[in-house]
Amino acid sequence: MALVQQIQPQRDPGARSGFARRVTGSPALQLVGRRLLTAIPVLLGVTFLTFVVMNLIPGNPAQLILGINASPQAVAKLDAQLGLNHPFWDRYWIWLDGLLHGNLGIAYSNQQSVNSIIAQYLPITCWLLLYALVGALVLGILVAVLAARKPNGIFDRLSLAVSMIGLSFAPYALALCAGWLFAVKLGWFHIIDNSLGNDPFTAIKNLTLPALSIGFGLFAVYSRLLRADIIEQMEREDYIVTAKAKGVSPWRVLVVHATKNSLFTLITLVALNLGTLIGAVAIIEPIFSLPGIGAELINAININDLPLVEGIVVVFALVTVAGNLLADLLYTVLDPRIRYGRSAS
Amino acid sequence: MAAQLPDMTATVLPPQPSLPSLVSGRRLRWQKISRALRLWVPAFILLAMLFICFVWPYVYTIPPGDTGSILDSSLPPFSPGHWLGTDANGVDIFSMLIYGGQVSFEISLAVTAIGILIGGILGLTAGYFGSWTDSVLSRVFDVLIAFPALVLVLAVAEVLGPSEMHLIWALCAFSIPAEARVFRGATMVVRQSPYIAAARLSGTGNWKIIFKHVLPNVIPGIVTFSLLGIGIIVILEGAVDFLGLGIQIPQPSWGAMIAKGQNVLTATPQYVLIPSIVLLIFVMALNLLGDALRERWGVR
Amino acid sequence: MSPTIQAEGALLEVEDLRVAFAVGGREIRAVDGISYAVEPGRTLAIIGESGSGKTVGCRAIMGLLPTGTQISGSARLRGTELIGLSDAQLRKHRGSDMAMVFQDPARSLNPTMKVGKQITEAIQAHRKVSKSEARERATELLRLVRIPAPERRFHEYPHQLSGGMRQRVVIAIALACEPRLLIADEATTALDVTTQAQIMELLLELQQELGMALIFISHDLGLAASYADEVVVMYAGKVVEQAPANQLFGTGGTVKMRYTRALLDAIPHLERPAHTELPVVTGRPPDPTALPPGCNFAPRCPAAADDCTAKAPALTEHAPGHRWACWHPCENGGAA
Repeated sequence: MALVQQIQPQRDPGARSGFARRVTGSPALQLVGRRLLTAIPVLLGVTFLTFVVMNLIPGNPAQLILGINASPQAVAKLDAQLGLNHPFWDRYWIWLDGLLHGNLGIAYSNQQSVNSIIAQYLPITCWLLLYALVGALVLGILVAVLAARKPNGIFDRLSLAVSMIGLSFAPYALALCAGWLFAVKLGWFHIIDNSLGNDPFTAIKNLTLPALSIGFGLFAVYSRLLRADIIEQMEREDYIVTAKAKGVSPWRVLVVHATKNSLFTLITLVALNLGTLIGAVAIIEPIFSLPGIGAELINAININDLPLVEGIVVVFALVTVAGNLLADLLYTVLDPRIRYGRSAS
Repeated sequence: MAAQLPDMTATVLPPQPSLPSLVSGRRLRWQKISRALRLWVPAFILLAMLFICFVWPYVYTIPPGDTGSILDSSLPPFSPGHWLGTDANGVDIFSMLIYGGQVSFEISLAVTAIGILIGGILGLTAGYFGSWTDSVLSRVFDVLIAFPALVLVLAVAEVLGPSEMHLIWALCAFSIPAEARVFRGATMVVRQSPYIAAARLSGTGNWKIIFKHVLPNVIPGIVTFSLLGIGIIVILEGAVDFLGLGIQIPQPSWGAMIAKGQNVLTATPQYVLIPSIVLLIFVMALNLLGDALRERWGVR
Repeated sequence: MSPTIQAEGALLEVEDLRVAFAVGGREIRAVDGISYAVEPGRTLAIIGESGSGKTVGCRAIMGLLPTGTQISGSARLRGTELIGLSDAQLRKHRGSDMAMVFQDPARSLNPTMKVGKQITEAIQAHRKVSKSEARERATELLRLVRIPAPERRFHEYPHQLSGGMRQRVVIAIALACEPRLLIADEATTALDVTTQAQIMELLLELQQELGMALIFISHDLGLAASYADEVVVMYAGKVVEQAPANQLFGTGGTVKMRYTRALLDAIPHLERPAHTELPVVTGRPPDPTALPPGCNFAPRCPAAADDCTAKAPALTEHAPGHRWACWHPCENGGAA
């Protein structure tokens, strides 16, 4: 989705306290530690907000579970059983406590533990996301490098046009249009077949259209960003001129020097946008009837199954925060200036 | 020791009265034209769409979206009187697009405006005053941004209940932090400028500085981001409608039109394809315009 | 002194070089017809302010300008015409026959590549040697540029070295394939004064040791006075004065161009009384997209007359070995 490109890595210079310097030697660890510390209030905020929002949804869960014809006593009994008659903060604390121990509660609809439900539907989502991500990255890098070779050349303009379409195509619209084109018109895939099957080939075949729907937008963002970054390196950076002055072949300059340095930004972007990636499954999976987390979330919302919705949403949000942390971590690990620190002589 | 000069016979290098142009005039002209086109073509497309959706119905009466006789049902495109065809209830597709466009425009512009207003104030505050204000506000933004946009919007829409106003507020839950972040980032950059320091030293009040000095310099970045933002909002709003969790009104937005066409995709793909393409063109025009403006104004 | 004609031909002969770009729909004439020559083993200084075209001219010779740049004229390296060669052909010369050292060592080196690797890359671009041979040669080069503990430095990243050492590495890279011509583009501008002197001394020592021709580009006339054999002064894309250094500077030196005179006068001297106002040249260089019809320097020249704005003076050899382009040159341009 177009949102993805706006989230740029924000470098935080920050000060280092003497204590931190004594405790941790490596500057990379310092940075990571600081980031973890700032992430904690965000994580708490995330859990709190989820809980608040979910509890504002009108309707009595006990009533929903038991149905309209249930007697008030039965409802009250279930209320007490589920702990719904406790004050807000108590309930939040109980839930948070459970969360910290890895227990996301019990779903209203089928009394299964939320953990197990998530575990059940997670694999397909993971495969789907992996497929989309890897496809988008590989193609994105390839296209970006080829385009950067001759900026404003034919391939470059073509790739920009395709990227523009990818950026602007609503994923659900793309899913349906691609579905129509490839499944209905060309018959290459089946929209209805939605399992992973017994062998990798079926899995890949069935996941291709959904992965395309998510991946096309990603590909557009990645290739555009990488291309712009590479071109900027090639045109603005002095070390590129030095490399050329050495007599190194243009491909080597492009790939070994410019692209390598641009990949940092790309990888950080990927990690930062983990959240958006996840959000996309909420709409793509229902279209293709894939039994994944996203579809399950929509189901849960439709039947007002609060614990399930809370559980899934919290997991989504936590993954996003983890993605941000990962992005910072990667940035420090990959940039030798930070990894090796300064040792001027 | 004198350096040897290449031409030993004539020691005078003849002056060139006016140098022949090394750069072809044609290429220069093309560069200028192309730059202008990249700005004005998308702008024109957007204006045309706005015009068709809001002005056209008054000029040439289009039947309002919810009439249509069953006799005209399911006409294919290019049928007489209904150039895009009709749906199963006989409603003209073109007028559905127009009314859906009205809904989409209204919602996305309202959301973006609120986002800029509220997000702007919050972001300017956070970026300008820094330290505690910034820390607190940034954490709040981070929490909101941590949720995938769609999920956040769905949740808020659920809570508030189905209605157009509530959908707008739900979408604002996404747009306010997003705009706030952009404002904050741009403000922090501008804050470092020497003329801000000069203004502070001369005793100008903080808010005056913000509105007179910071704001004008932040505007280019905001405009380019918000143009993209409008596209994202329209897509998000469509997604909510698509899932059937949005507003249920007789005039379906483009997203809702796409959703409705889902079930009959095999037989009559145009119900999905037409609104999809219209949506695509709209968002592309927004993106292209944003790119052209970014290029013109030198925003990064 | 009567000029002695060298037996060998010039190493680099530049004739009527012109470079133009199209930016944002306008044409910029960065270099407007310059000519000079460099002998093997000699040092040429190209002096000018920012925007005079001094860097662009040399980069044009090396083929380091972006695509879409229009280059015309001639630049012959040992008889081989360089202008008009394809990039693949130029690459054979680039880094091997002729090499360049750049201004800012902090930015000229790839921050994510080890220093040694950047040198071996230069070697392996032109010679078919094994990795270990390249490594040996690289370490040798590091030693040549007087970097202590070269074996250790080989494995370090640029940010782990000081500014002066980084510049030495850049020089090592340039020397990797024993070039005949070394171009130093503001090589010392980004360094502090002490390091500046060290690097200049190093360049000259290396020039002696390896018998290279050296072109150094600078805005600092003082450097030219101290280190150059021959000086070329550029303004707004043209050569305005050209002479052996001893004819321009020092006692008995005669500076003819108003511009060169102004540059010299602007150098602060300890001998002047304290608080003397520095005679700075007013105004700014002309807009390269709209050059005036007459002499480019006329708008800023204290001695400008009507014929100056009407017609551009030609670069003429008015005295043996000394060329200038001015209708009203300084009469007794004694150097400070």
